[in-house]
Amino acid sequence: MNKIPALSPTVLLAVALLIYPLIFSGAFYLDVGVTFLLAAISASAWNIVGGYAGQVSVGHAMFFGLGAYAPLLCYKLYGWTPMAGIPFGIAASVALAILIGIPTFRLTGHYFSMATIAVAELIRIYFGTWDLVGAAIGLQGPATARGWWDLTFRSELPYYYIFLTVLAVLLSFTYLMERHRFGYYLRAIKVGERAARSLGVPVQQTKIRALVLSAMFTSVAGSLYSVKTGFIDPESGFGILVSVQMVIIAALGGAGRLYGPLIGALILIPLQTATNTWFGGGGTGLTFIVYGGIIVLIARYEPGGIYDLWEQISPRRWRRKHAS
Amino acid sequence: MLLEAHAVSKSFGDFFAVRDANLSVGEGEIVGLIGPNGAGKSTFFNCLAGDAVPTSGKIIFDGQDMTKAPPEAHARLGIGRTFQVPATFEGMSVIDNVMVGAFLRHPHQGDARDHASRIIELTGLKAQMDLAAHSLGTPGRKRLEIARVLATNPRLMLLDESLAGLTPTELQEAIRLVRKIHEMGITIVIVEHIMEVIMTLAGRVLAFNQGHVIASGRPEDVVKDEAVIEAYLGRGSHRVRRRSA
Amino acid sequence: MLLLQVIVGGLLLGAIYALFSSGLTLIWGMMNFINFAHGEFVMLGMYVSLLVVMYLGGGPAAFGFGAAFALFVLGVVVYLSLIRYVLRGPMLAQILSTFGLALLLRYTAFWIFSANFVSLPQTSLSGTINVGGILMPIPQLVAGVIAILLTIGLHLMLTCTTIGSQLLAVSEDRGAAMLMGIKPDRMQALAWGLSAGAAGIAGALMAIAYPWSPSVGETFGLTAFVVVALGGFGSVPGALFAGLIVGLIQALSAFWFGPIYKDIVVYALFVALLWLRPQGLMGKA
Ligand SMILES: Nc1ncnc2c1ncn2[C@@H]1O[C@H](COP(=O)(O)OP(=O)(O)OP(=O)(O)O)[C@@H](O)[C@H]1O
Ligand SMILES: [Mg+2]
Repeated sequence: MNKIPALSPTVLLAVALLIYPLIFSGAFYLDVGVTFLLAAISASAWNIVGGYAGQVSVGHAMFFGLGAYAPLLCYKLYGWTPMAGIPFGIAASVALAILIGIPTFRLTGHYFSMATIAVAELIRIYFGTWDLVGAAIGLQGPATARGWWDLTFRSELPYYYIFLTVLAVLLSFTYLMERHRFGYYLRAIKVGERAARSLGVPVQQTKIRALVLSAMFTSVAGSLYSVKTGFIDPESGFGILVSVQMVIIAALGGAGRLYGPLIGALILIPLQTATNTWFGGGGTGLTFIVYGGIIVLIARYEPGGIYDLWEQISPRRWRRKHAS
Repeated sequence: MLLEAHAVSKSFGDFFAVRDANLSVGEGEIVGLIGPNGAGKSTFFNCLAGDAVPTSGKIIFDGQDMTKAPPEAHARLGIGRTFQVPATFEGMSVIDNVMVGAFLRHPHQGDARDHASRIIELTGLKAQMDLAAHSLGTPGRKRLEIARVLATNPRLMLLDESLAGLTPTELQEAIRLVRKIHEMGITIVIVEHIMEVIMTLAGRVLAFNQGHVIASGRPEDVVKDEAVIEAYLGRGSHRVRRRSA
Repeated sequence: MLLLQVIVGGLLLGAIYALFSSGLTLIWGMMNFINFAHGEFVMLGMYVSLLVVMYLGGGPAAFGFGAAFALFVLGVVVYLSLIRYVLRGPMLAQILSTFGLALLLRYTAFWIFSANFVSLPQTSLSGTINVGGILMPIPQLVAGVIAILLTIGLHLMLTCTTIGSQLLAVSEDRGAAMLMGIKPDRMQALAWGLSAGAAGIAGALMAIAYPWSPSVGETFGLTAFVVVALGGFGSVPGALFAGLIVGLIQALSAFWFGPIYKDIVVYALFVALLWLRPQGLMGKA
């Protein structure tokens, strides 16, 4: 019965995102739109393990980077369409997720966080020395498209709609997950691991599944990024900024909420674009300072992000929502 | 016997919280565990529920060795437990809390919700069904814990002071609830400081002191036992008197 | 001979790792909390040393004390204004609080000091001495030896003094400590001061012997994770022992495989440890 009120913002949002490129067709606005979508995809992918399961990864760039390198590596080695590399990126990310998840999820959440940042850093440094992947210089995609299947377009418009499709798939998946046993288990684990186990929740297995799913989608986000830009290097694939972006966008909007990452990206990406335009390249250092500050403030005052803040301001909405 | 604990000990460093405890519970019994604060009752419960691995000894449930099995395996086999300090899933609604338990036997969301609704009705939480768990008071949360465990369809329930801190009316209600659960065919082991509860519910009582089982038998005999009176007078007599008043 | 020199160099650097890692392990042992900004504390200790030398003058004793004091104060302030509010909060808040702080400190340092490497102007500590054929730069030698002594000192302080036993009491049982008249909040603030102070003075020692830039904080932070994991979370003697080993492993991998591999090998060791011995080499199984 509450399907209609729950759906209408979704419909509005979908329509807005669909027609955005038609209204803001300039290259600049289109670029902002594509950046926004990619950020929303990455942060939503992070959200599965970091938000819903409450296992805070601060090194998700490792999955993004693997996903980003795979298509261009396939192109470099075999001349395949970059698209062909996407499954390899996913496979590598899943393997890595399991490698990290199994030992750390037996311990408290701090171990997982420490392991993610250490492994991301390890891979970044290693890729910087590895000739096969172009070492510090990185890899490039096809300069000109040999066909549509190279996904190398002059206009940003096709990317916009490809990214939008992926975002829609990811959010639908998350929506279904929330309503599935798996989603209930994740929320239970997040607030009370011990109690969850006493009720028969297979905690370890559930956490690993969440990490694997999250890694898969993050890897796809990385692939989309490198296919679109036609270029990847260790910093843009595995750099700390990549991880920080996912964390801050999800946490700012609302970690563990379906639309949290979307809200976060809606705020942060325009802000970031604006500061970059005003301050030029020198703005990046400042961006980090501001990001650090925002992250500290979220942790200290509102770990639930804007979503929670909003719920506190409008308690009546909240009660109705939870009466579903 | 449904549950058998043989010479179970649990130590933290050199300190034995439980030492050589024996317990056997038959199908359909209600067994009470009493003893002053720090006697080792909760630690013993943790061993029975798989939340702590005993330092030595053996725990058999329905013929299976559960001594080293993890808590989720206990739940699957039908051992449910509540926590002395309620560990409800804060931020989730009451029905969602119960559903987490219900999912154990009902993997599909719709079935789990139906089952959880039935349990909620049974436990008298219907009015609070959609409230967030943290908005309930301690008595409500203890009741929610019982509901959540009940939703896993246990054969044995371990209740750790689930009836503590209730007003006299609430207490009568809670006692009725435990009876109802018992009538459903669920075996119960209950830790309680309130003698009234133990006397009315339990068919058999074990008294703990300083990790040891110091007496066992019919409740009316155990409360008259010299060693039990001594233990309570020595350590927690004021508490017993106040609680049972 | 060269190998021997590499080994000694690694151990001396490892001694400084031991010192700042013991600060990290102290916090972990007391409140089950991991400080992602710990490496940045070391980095700040280095810049404080530089500022003291540049603007106030004085020798190693002056800037060593200055760095320790400044970071002690910072540690207490960070605890009182941030950590205390997230300590019992959700995991997200716990992790993000110091992770955000790390970014804030690191990039503020980049902004103020630029990304260029700097080093202290030559102090009275310079030159090398020849110990049985091994050429030892005096700054490294002094820094390493002092670091070991300070780590041992910290351990003795925690185990043999009243303050130490009060800290221990809080870490074992807050409630019981309160009943004994100890104020847990104050003790935890003190622990943060000590932890950051150890990082600060380790930074000062590091600054005597090695050049640095703001990015070293990240590397030191991760190195400290490895040391703490190896030595067993919460153990200062473990950190001392593990710090020396990590320094040694780093030096040897740089020597055998090339400098770029020194961090790779150490981070890989961390992952291996999580699989094989999450309780650390010295921890109980
Ligand atoms: N994890 C632990 N580490 C060290 N000591 C513990 C631990 N858990 C319990 N103890 C100690 O074991 C003893 C028994 O505790 P337990 O909680 O089992 O007592 P209890 O009988 O349930 O008491 P109460 O009536 O207060 O609930 C106590 O002295 C307690 O301090
Ligand atoms: Mg108890």
